[in-house]
Amino acid sequence: MDFTISPVNKMIIKAAKDFSERKIPAIEAYMKEHSDYPPNLMEIYAENRMLGFNVPREYGGIGTSNFNMILYIEEMGKTASTCFLPFMMNNSVAETICHWGSEEVKKKFVPPLCDGTAWATMAFTEPDTGSDPKMLTTTARPDGDDFIINGTKRFISMANKPGYGVFICKDLSLAGQKNNTTAFIIDKTSPGISCSKHYELTGLEGADTCDITFTDVRVPKGNILGKQGEGFNILLRWIAGERIQQAAGMVGVGQRAFEEAKKYSLQRVVNGMPMGYMQGFYWMLGEMKVKINACRLMVYQAVCKQDAGKSFEVDSAEVKVFTTPMIQEVTRMAVQFLGSYGYSKEYIVEKLFRLAMHQGVVASSLEINKTIVGMTALMSK
Amino acid sequence: MNIIVCIKQVPNVTQVKWDADGSLIRTGLPTIINPVDKNAIEAALQLKEKHGGKVTVLSMGPSQVESALREALCMGVDEVIQLTDRKFAGADTWATSYTIGVAIQKIADYDLVITGVEAMDGNTAQVGPQIAEFLGLPLLSYALSIEVAGGKVTIDQKLGDLSRVVEAKLPALVTVEKEINEYRVTPIDKVIDAFEKNIPVWGVDDISPDVVHLGLKGSPTKLRKVYSPKLEKGKVEMLEGTPDDIARQLVDKLNAKFLI
Repeated sequence: MDFTISPVNKMIIKAAKDFSERKIPAIEAYMKEHSDYPPNLMEIYAENRMLGFNVPREYGGIGTSNFNMILYIEEMGKTASTCFLPFMMNNSVAETICHWGSEEVKKKFVPPLCDGTAWATMAFTEPDTGSDPKMLTTTARPDGDDFIINGTKRFISMANKPGYGVFICKDLSLAGQKNNTTAFIIDKTSPGISCSKHYELTGLEGADTCDITFTDVRVPKGNILGKQGEGFNILLRWIAGERIQQAAGMVGVGQRAFEEAKKYSLQRVVNGMPMGYMQGFYWMLGEMKVKINACRLMVYQAVCKQDAGKSFEVDSAEVKVFTTPMIQEVTRMAVQFLGSYGYSKEYIVEKLFRLAMHQGVVASSLEINKTIVGMTALMSK
Repeated sequence: MNIIVCIKQVPNVTQVKWDADGSLIRTGLPTIINPVDKNAIEAALQLKEKHGGKVTVLSMGPSQVESALREALCMGVDEVIQLTDRKFAGADTWATSYTIGVAIQKIADYDLVITGVEAMDGNTAQVGPQIAEFLGLPLLSYALSIEVAGGKVTIDQKLGDLSRVVEAKLPALVTVEKEINEYRVTPIDKVIDAFEKNIPVWGVDDISPDVVHLGLKGSPTKLRKVYSPKLEKGKVEMLEGTPDDIARQLVDKLNAKFLI
């Protein structure tokens, strides 16, 4: 597999670096002050034509590859800003609707996710539901031309932002059937929707993760994404892409941690010599670099399969299983490199370390991905 | 409204390294679009977004200049033209201005020419004004803003701590300062489009200039020597006295060396 970075890829990286250096500091400053995303964040992304990477132009997208998108995400990851999450969400949900939706659904819901007027959400998790669709309690009851939605979804990103979310619900019209989950595209400003306050998270500062509760929320049947009963499959495909994107962001986090450690190791003088020239430290640097490169190659391999239209769900799980502990270890090593400075909020490695911890629990847990990889290996001929 | 923007590809002097003798290490120095030229492109794109028309970017240089023009396409300009010919090589600012001027005459259909004030490698600020002179265009230099209305262009001209409003009939040439705008982050859709476009390369045969004015031979400036000033270390003289005394001594010493 050839991972040569083409001139187009290089220009994407350059644009992403430019965006990260010139635009993210102001976004980050707002997030620090308000513990939330700037209200115009999607407009900023749309102005810079960063939404709809893998969405055809006829629906307002850019019409390029997932590979180019993960290159962009890696650069954003280097800033340690949480603002890459809504960027990934609008891109991945728009692509998901394009993949599963009817022409009518695509024309109605995809352009607002690409022009910055709508914030996307994808929701499955509930207070008592981790990864098992049989445990879902949010219900969709048919009523004439509509469905009535009731229930609560937990830890939902951008749930309280205006726009559209894809919500996976137990479809009561499919009661007794094996596949009884259906995906509904719901306007998050619909009557009957309420949200909790944000959760205070270890990392992901400024993220607006909250609970969203539906009380007799009326949704037209025309808002069903895909077919009834396909809800869980829609989620699995979406989250497979999300895992790759998340890992790309974490590769950026690891790369930044490495660069910070390297910089410090050349600045800090011990016994008249930069400490980086001491074997203990350059061995650590070497280990960090190898770990990051291995993670990056796994991300590239998985995203290339995704772009080729091949099955990539298991590859994506493998990416999660490998990259999560690797990047967490790299950021921990960066903290060790800087000593007490690394444990101080004045230095970015402390934030990178906390940010890396989210990968093990957000967008499917590390353990469920080990299950996917292990069971697939066990069952394969 | 059709606008031509002239840009230069320059070495990224912010990444310059020096060898042990204090000489510039040129090998491997990355090239970039002269930063203020990106402001010139941005100014043109904003005028196009307001008034319609077309933005064409022109650059003279060796074959590597193609990457600068590709980047201009990525910013969203409509067309680019590369001026590359061995006979253009070694041109001073006069010969460069002449060559670009002839190319602009060939394009013919334009209302405004925009350049950056100066290039970060030479810092002469001569090419823009010389193109205007060659083409017989009104020159509006050091622009902090550009407005176009009623067949006229108006700029806010930077004059040190002051500024003044200057107006001219179109067509005209404007040189812009970096403060005029914040150039855009490269839009991703334009990146994808940019790499699907061919970049036309114009040589001597395409623009039919008077060859005696081209390149090194056509350059009135004769460069005698390029050198890096020697850095002398360790020659520090501590001045004694009150702050006023020290300031006077410093002025006297600088005067003696004709430095002020």
